[in-house]
This record gives sequence, C-alpha cells and structure tokens, in this order.
Amino acid sequence: MTAAALADVKVVDLMWAIAGPAATRVLADYGATVVRIESTTRTDICRTVAPFRDMPPGPESAVLFHNVNTGKQMMTLDLASAEGREVFFDLVRWADVVTEAYTAGTMRTLGLDYDTLRAVNPGIIMLSTCLMGQTGPLAAFAGFGNLSASITGFGNLCGWPDRPPAGPFGAYTDYLAPRFSLATILAALDHRRRTGEGQYIDLAQGEASIHFLTPAMLDYTVNGRIQGPTGNDDSEDAPHGVYPAAGSDRWLALAVRSDAQFAALAGVIGQAELARDLRFATAAARREHREALNAQIADWTRQQDAHAAERTLQDAGIAAAVCANSADMAADPQLVHREHIRELSHPAYGTTPVEGSRFRLSRTPAVVAGAAPTLGRDNQDVLTTILGYDEDRITDLVIAGALG
Amino acid sequence: MLSPYRVLDLTNERGQLCGQILGDLGADVIQIEPPGGSPVRRRGPFVDDVPHPDRSLQWWACNRNKRGVTLDLDSPRGQEMLRRLAARADFLIESETPGVQAQRGLGHDELAALNPRLVYVSITPFGQTGPKAHWADSDLVLMAASGPLLMTGDEDRAPLRVSVPQAYLHAGAEAAGAALVANHERQRSGQGQHVDVSAQQAIALATQSYVLATAAGFFDAQRMSGGAKIGPLTVRFVFPASDGHVSITFLFGPSAGPFTRRLMHYVHEEGFCDVATRDKDWIGFFEKLMNGDETMTELERIKETVAACTRTKTKAALMQIALERDLLMAPVATTREVIENVQLTHRGYWQTVAHPELGRDVVYPGPFARPSAMPIRYRRRPPTVGEHNHEIYGGELGLGGDEIAALGTAGVV
Repeated sequence: MTAAALADVKVVDLMWAIAGPAATRVLADYGATVVRIESTTRTDICRTVAPFRDMPPGPESAVLFHNVNTGKQMMTLDLASAEGREVFFDLVRWADVVTEAYTAGTMRTLGLDYDTLRAVNPGIIMLSTCLMGQTGPLAAFAGFGNLSASITGFGNLCGWPDRPPAGPFGAYTDYLAPRFSLATILAALDHRRRTGEGQYIDLAQGEASIHFLTPAMLDYTVNGRIQGPTGNDDSEDAPHGVYPAAGSDRWLALAVRSDAQFAALAGVIGQAELARDLRFATAAARREHREALNAQIADWTRQQDAHAAERTLQDAGIAAAVCANSADMAADPQLVHREHIRELSHPAYGTTPVEGSRFRLSRTPAVVAGAAPTLGRDNQDVLTTILGYDEDRITDLVIAGALG
Repeated sequence: MLSPYRVLDLTNERGQLCGQILGDLGADVIQIEPPGGSPVRRRGPFVDDVPHPDRSLQWWACNRNKRGVTLDLDSPRGQEMLRRLAARADFLIESETPGVQAQRGLGHDELAALNPRLVYVSITPFGQTGPKAHWADSDLVLMAASGPLLMTGDEDRAPLRVSVPQAYLHAGAEAAGAALVANHERQRSGQGQHVDVSAQQAIALATQSYVLATAAGFFDAQRMSGGAKIGPLTVRFVFPASDGHVSITFLFGPSAGPFTRRLMHYVHEEGFCDVATRDKDWIGFFEKLMNGDETMTELERIKETVAACTRTKTKAALMQIALERDLLMAPVATTREVIENVQLTHRGYWQTVAHPELGRDVVYPGPFARPSAMPIRYRRRPPTVGEHNHEIYGGELGLGGDEIAALGTAGVV
C-alpha cells in the first residue's frame, strides 16, 4: 500500500479561528501528523460560531470547528507556564512546521518567536498568519475575515449599485488565505529538503486575499478607475443574473456566454423570436438592453421549479444552476459522487458531518477519517507516543497545571 | 523556493492563478496559449480602455512570473511539441472540460506514460467524473452551485455575487496547494499523479461550513445586506460612517463578547446609549436571546444606537478608534483606499513592474506571503502573445528560426 502523501510531515499547530486551521486541515487530510495546541482558558472563536450540532451550543457543538480540525490531534497546554513551554519546545524539536495565527506580537510576548524556536530546532519552518501582517502600524489590528474583507476591498465590491454594500458572506478572506498558507508551507518544506534551511513566513490574510481582486486593483493603478459593485451584471456576458423560481427563496443563476447560447435560451423560454431581435443580436447589444431581457427571462423562471429549469437549461448547453441551500448541497448528485460530505464518528454526537477534500489525488487520496478532537483528547498520547515522557513526568505536568 | 521545477500551464480562464502562485514561489512556468492568444486576453478591463490582447488587466492579474508561448493543441504537430515539453516538465496544469485533453493525446494517462514523474493537475467546474462533469459553467453559476451565492446579498433582492469573478480563483488557489501535496509525495515515490480539482468543492469552503447545515440538523443562514440571518438572529456587520461604511464584528460569546463590550463603552462615551445598554451581558447575550431574557427588538434598538454613533464619524476616524480601543471595526474600503492603505504602504506591499512594451510602469498587488529564506520576487511581467516562442521552441526543442516561422505560417504557433 502506498503511504499517505504527507505521512512524514509533522506539524505543531497553534492556529485558531478559520483561516489557519483550514490550511493545516489539508495537511492532515493527506497524512501529516498535526498536533493542535489549545488553551483551556482562551476559547477558539470557531467553537462559538453557528451552525451547531445542538442548542444551546456547548464547547464541542460547532460544525465549523469540526470541519476545519478534522484529522488533527489535540493537546491542551498552558504556554505561559515554564512547564508548558518545555513541553512546547520538545514538540518544536519533533516538528517540521510550527503554525500560529495569534495577533501579531503574541508569540514574542510569550517568548516563542521564530528566533527562539530556531535556537531549539534550526530547521524549523514557522508560519505566522494574522489579518494585516507581523509589522507595520496595523500589525496589532485584531479581527476576523469579515474585517479583512472590508479593509481589502471585498465589502465594497459586493452589492447593488443603488444600495449600501452587502459584502460577501461571513469571514470571506478566511476562506482565501488558507490556500496561500498551504502552498507556501509545502514550498518551504521542499526548499528545506533540498537545502536544509528552515525559515519564517509572515502571511498577512489581507495581503494574500487581495490577489482575488487584482483586476479591480489594476483598474485603479493603471486607469485610475475606482470600481464599485455591479450587482450580478457581467462586463462581458449577457444575459447574466439570478432569477426567481417557483417556491420560497428559490433562485436560478444563469449566464449566456455566446450568441448560440442566447438563441438556445430564447427557445427554452418559448421566445424564439428574441434571437432575431436586433436589440439582442450581440453580447454588447444584450448588455445594453439587459433589463428588458432580464424581465422576459424572469417571467419564465417564475413559473419553473428551480431544479427542473436548471436541468432544461443545462440540456440546452446553457450555464445555469440552482442557488443551492444546504439541503440541495447534501442531495447534489455531483457532490455525492465526489463524497463531499462525510460522516465521521464523534464521541458526543455518534457521527458528525464534515467536508471531504476539495481535490482528489489519483494515487494517494485523502484519508478523511478522524473527527476533530475534543479539548485535550490526545494529551496522554502526544506526551507518551510523540514525546516519550514517562508517567512521573506527565503527573508532574498535571500537578503544575501545565496542561491547560 | 520552487526554482528547480518546470510547470506547463495550459489553463484558460479556469484556474490561471494556480500557475501564478507556483511562479511566485519560484517555479519556471510556461503558459501555453492558442495561436492568437488566450481567450482571457479578450476580457477587460484594458489599459486605457483600449481592447488589445496585450492590454487586458484580466490577463495581467494571473500571468505574472510566467513565460508565454502559443501552440495549437488541436493540431498533430502542436500535440507532438507539447508531448516533448511535457516529457521534461515537473507539473502540467490544464482546465479543459474532462476528456478534451485525452482526445488530443494529452490526457493524464498519455503523458504519464511519457513522464511518470509528471504531476498532472486538472481544474474543472465540477471535477473529472460524476453526473455534472460536463455541465456548462460560469463564475456566477459556480458560486450558485457551491452555496455562497444564496447567502449573499440583500434579503429583498436576488442572491448576489462578488463583482470581481471569484470562482476560478478559489479553484486555482486550491490547485496550487494540491499540486504541491503531490510534489511532496513524488520526492518519496518518484512518481507523479493526477490531481483533480473541482471548483464547486473549492468554493464550498466559502460557505463557512453552512454547506453542512442540513446534514448537521441545523438551519441555513439567510442573506441580509451587510450580514446574515442565522435562524431568529440577525447578524449585522456593516454600519454607516459619515463618508461611507464600516464593518463591525457585532457578535457575542466568550471570544467576541469582550470586543462588543468595549464597543458599547465607546458608544456610551460618545453619548449614544445609556449605562444599562452599555452594561448588558455581551458574553452571554446570545443565550439570553434564546431564553427570552433579551429580545430581537432590543437587539435591533442597540444596533441602531451603534449606527447612530458611527454615522457621525469618518471611516478613518473609526479605524483609529478601533486601533486605540481594540475594537473589531474596519472601514469598507474602496479600491483606491486599499491602495492607499497605510499598513500596506508601510510594508511596501505594492510592487512596481515595468511594462516596456507599453512604455510604462504598473503597480501590482504584492507578494501573498513573506518567506524569509526566499522572498517572492516579481521576476517577469505577464507575457505578450507568443513572446517566448523562439526562446522555448528554439532553446528547448531545438527548432531553428525557419522551422518556427513555418509553424507560424501553418498556424501551429
């Protein structure tokens, strides 16, 4: 049997919230040993954010926490205590990678900055990720991805032109940064394999996420144009929008990307003559007359079941999709085929749902098997199996209060 | 950090960010476009609003640190040349509809037979297999099929996308990490593999795990301008400022509650709420809402007091207050304000890249990360159409100038 892709990678993970743990979750999916360290006194905000498995929510109820911490080990450790720090340094000696997502400066205050860790393990790769970076006047600016999304321009680029900005859903940049963290960690491991050199990586969530807005940024730096929100209109394609379907809060997204597709759409909605109307002859003409067109399409979609219309339009070669809710996602035959939602054994709930890997490797697939650990679950295992401590030493740690 | 590696990037509009991330990390990336240039080059905005394949900002956004060649992969000669390049490449990234590359003799199995070490990355809307593998796609349609769309926008209007297309940036960035997982494994086994990235699955991360709500027995989040509705609770993040808007993480509980407490002290000091409002139990507020000790009406009233306060201040003033008082508050910035952001400027984030073909310098978003051992450098501006044909086909494949010219005449390059 082929070993897991990252079976040899060892990570000490001090991350919390979403962006950090979502990156190390991928490492765990592909076989890395990820030891998550959590405080018993400082609650991870992920544990307090809906959706929950039960109400009122307890500390282990959060689906988001389960989802971004699947496959990791968990120990509680008081990093402010001398005994806790010694345990942490032993883990650093064992590890290839240390990751942390505290507010900038916290690791230095704890006496756990890169220079200290490098003295313990010269080859260590340390990644720090916070909202705005480790240096500069806003380094200490704390917050979550909703604030980062606002300060980096996403908030103002998601909305209707005649309304206040709506902003993307939730902590948007928390979903962008993990990809950059993952790629950088893996590149740093490759660099170390060839050179023996470890390093420190400062990854600012905001700086990474701006790469999802580059065309708008260039439009300002090159053309001096400040782009604003454009609803669902597209700069090229028309018709292009989200149309109401039969039922409560049911919607159909639709994008026509060629004149041939427009003719097909006109036929589907029973208005074949639209394809011969000069107002709609080209994409540019359709953009100019988009409101008239949108009204005609909505007249049709309102009468349709969203799923049936999606099928009809796709059969005609037109890009269309139901605006999926979570029931649609759970039933989506494509996501079922891809095993996107997995049920993992969980001590509190019997099973709990998590997402599978977002990509597939043909020879060394992800193994999504172990539910996110409950607080302190693996203390004994980490101390004995990974660090080789004996029972006396572990008892001393417990007495000293070092384990959280 | 990835300088030993050669990447062939065959992607069209689906997933060009993948190759750029690998290029930023040091890999030698060759973008392969159809003769005449990639369709991405036809998308605006354009430099000075003059449409031209070498002036597309959409193209510039995802093709830095790449060289560029043209090649007709539908012609036997073009396919043969691609196979020769692939025989010595480390990664190949492609984004055609499943099956298209195999028909050209350029699928994973064909190229793996030539080069077993090749990491072959496919970026597609829904994945290589499955009932929707051949469905038509677009940015908007993928954002709908993956969940974020329904939760975004104003409650009285249709669901809403981000105005700058996002779907294939999610997929492309996901693919970069995926490719490097396979690369790590290759060091041990000596073998590449097929990396199959689904844009739909990649984007689902942006539901903040609400994709699992039904499976977990919970209710869906519903869209609301500047926030969301979570069951009976309305979560509002966007508040007015005198010159625009700010975002405030107005939440409760052990993590966010202390920030809200400090915010309400500020609102009180500014004269917009009374002591009783200021001193509510911000840590336990959600539980009190659930058991009826607090009401949604009261929560709406409190948010209006916050709004009344922020409405009297500028975005910049509120940012300063957030820093001084450790509040979860930040401006809803325009692109101009992002580019002028004091933090990004202080960190030297923005990078000036020379575009000698246009006789101008262009300011780009800077490195996505700061690795100390090998900082990310912008070594190459995005290539013009076919810019490196002679360099690659001459230098790598040993073709003479006459042969390359003949390929041009034949429409292969």
